Amino acid sequence: MKSRNIILKVLMGILLIVMIIVLIRVFWQAPPSTLRLASIIDSEYDPAVWGRYYPLEYNSYLKNKEMTPSPTGFGGSEKYQKSTKEPEILINFKGMAFSKDYTEDRGHPYAMDDLKETKRVGPTTPGSCMTCKTANLRDIYKDMGWNYAKTPLAELLPRIKHSIVCANCHQPQTMKLRVLNPAFIEAMQKRGIDVARASREDMRSYVCGQCHSEYYFEPETKRVIFPWDKGLKPQDMYAYYKEVPSGFDMDWLHPDSGAKMLKAQHPDFEMWSGGVHGKSGVSCADCHMPFMRDKGQKYTSHWVTSPMKHVQASCRTCHTQDEQWLLERVKSTQNNVFQLQRIAGQTIARAHNALGKASAAAKVNQGDLERARELIRNAQWFWDFVAAENSMGFHNPDGALNILGQSIDLAHQAIATANRAAGTQY
Amino acid sequence: MIIEKSPKSSIAKILIPGIIIGVVVSAIAVLAYHQSGDARFCGSCHSMKPVHHQWKVSNHQQFTCTECHLPDTHIAGKVAYKIRAGLNDLVHETARDYQAGIAFSERSRQIVNRNCVRCHASTIAKTPMAQDGANCLNCHRYLVHGRGQDEGGIKFEK
Repeated sequence: MKSRNIILKVLMGILLIVMIIVLIRVFWQAPPSTLRLASIIDSEYDPAVWGRYYPLEYNSYLKNKEMTPSPTGFGGSEKYQKSTKEPEILINFKGMAFSKDYTEDRGHPYAMDDLKETKRVGPTTPGSCMTCKTANLRDIYKDMGWNYAKTPLAELLPRIKHSIVCANCHQPQTMKLRVLNPAFIEAMQKRGIDVARASREDMRSYVCGQCHSEYYFEPETKRVIFPWDKGLKPQDMYAYYKEVPSGFDMDWLHPDSGAKMLKAQHPDFEMWSGGVHGKSGVSCADCHMPFMRDKGQKYTSHWVTSPMKHVQASCRTCHTQDEQWLLERVKSTQNNVFQLQRIAGQTIARAHNALGKASAAAKVNQGDLERARELIRNAQWFWDFVAAENSMGFHNPDGALNILGQSIDLAHQAIATANRAAGTQY
Repeated sequence: MIIEKSPKSSIAKILIPGIIIGVVVSAIAVLAYHQSGDARFCGSCHSMKPVHHQWKVSNHQQFTCTECHLPDTHIAGKVAYKIRAGLNDLVHETARDYQAGIAFSERSRQIVNRNCVRCHASTIAKTPMAQDGANCLNCHRYLVHGRGQDEGGIKFEK
C-alpha cells in the first residue's frame, strides 16, 4: 500500500512537471511572431554586423557558402567547367573569353572571389564588371556616377570589401527592400515603372532581377544597359540588338563563321517573367526564399539556391502533391530542355564549321554568306538565352522549348545557306 | 458482508457521491470537449495563428474548427480522434518542430472532404462526384485558410 502510494506520487509529480513545461512552452513563452527592428547605420555593409540583429536570416545566408549539387542535376552551386558537360561551348564561344573559362556559378558570398579568379577578367577589364558583384557599388556610384564603368576594375578593387550581402537588397534602418543597380532602375524607368514605388510583392522579384538579367556594355562609356526597350522575350531583345543600339553591334567576331555574335548573360528575370509562375504573380523570393521555421519561429530563408533543396517549404505552399512527385516534374522539364539545348548547341557548332569552310571557298556568293551569318547569330542568341539562364528552362518551360526549337531550325538554315553560297556539302 | 448488514445506507453511501462525481466529471468533460473545439482555443497555439487569422475573415467564419476537422461519426469516434490529434499537436507545439507549411495528412483530408459534403451534398448530388466521393479540396483548397503568401510576410514590432 505504501509503495503504491509513492509510485502514485512520483507519477503525479512527473505529470505536473510535464504540464508546467507544456504551459511555459506553448503559452507563456511562445516563440515570437514579429522581429525587432535594429538600428544599423547606412554605411554598414558587413553581413556579420546585420547578422547580430537578424540571426536566423543571417545563418540561412551563410548556407550560401555550401557548394552542393542541385537535386535535379542542373544548376547547383559547385564550380566546374561547363564545357566538360557540353563541349560545343568551346566551338560556339571560340575567339572570346567564355571559351577559356566558363564555370557553373557559386553562391552570393563568392561573387567577388569568382570575379577575381576568372580568366575572363584581365588588366583592361572595365569597372562595370563589378556592378552586380558587391554592395560597395552603392558608394562608388554615389561618388563617381557612371564614370566608374569606364574606370579599370583594378582601380576600383581597393574600395570593394564585400560581395553580395544584405545591403544589396535591404534598407538598413527599415529593412524594406531596395535595389542598388542603376542599370536596372534606368531600364525599369524606360518601361514606365518607378522601382522606388514598387509594391512589396514586386520588390520580391526586382531585388533579384536587378542582376539576374541580360545586359550589354555601351561601347563608348562601358555603362551597363538592359536591352528591354522592345520587350523581355528573346525575340524582342534580338530585334533590339539588330538596330545596333548606341553603336553596339556585337560582343565578338566568331573566327570560324565570321559572324558578329552576341553573348547572353543569365536572363533569369526575363525568362521567369514569361513563365507560368511569373505570369501568376509568384515572385522569385516565394520559391527561392520561402518561409522556414526554426524552433517554431518563422523566418525568410536567405539561402538563395535551387528550391528543389527544400520542396516542402517552396512548392507545397501552393502545390498539394508530395515532394517526390514535384521533384520528378521539375526533373522532367529540365531533362527535356537540356536535351534540346544540346541539339541546338551542337547544330550551331556544325554551322560555325560549315560557314568557315564556305567562306574559305574559292567562289562564294557574298549575299548568301552574310545571310548565313545573320542566321547563325540569331540561332546562337536563342540557344544561349536558355543555356546561360540558370533554371534549365524551368522558369518558363514552354518558352524555353519554343526558343530552342527555333534555334535548331535557324542553325540548319544557316548550314543550308552557307552550302548554297559556296556550293559546299557540310 | 457489509452490504447485508445495512444495505440501504451503504448503497446510498456509494451511489450519492458516485452520482455527484459522475455529474461533475461529465460536465467538465463536455465543457472541455466544447471549449477545446472552439476556434479561440485552437488559435492560441503559435503554429495555428496563420490559419486562425485567415479563417476569421473567410466565408466559413461562423463554423468552429471542429465542425470541419473532426470526423463525421459518433461521439466516441470524435473523442478518440480529438485526443489523438490533440496530443499530436501538443507534442509538436511543445517541441516546436512543426514544418514551415503545415499540410494535411491523407486521413485529415478525407475527414474535411466528408464534412464539406455534409452541408454541400445537394450541390454535387447530380454530378459524378456524388458517387465517386468528392475531393473538394483538390480545387477549393484555399477557400477557408487562403494561401501562405497572403499573410504579407514577417512583421516588425511597433
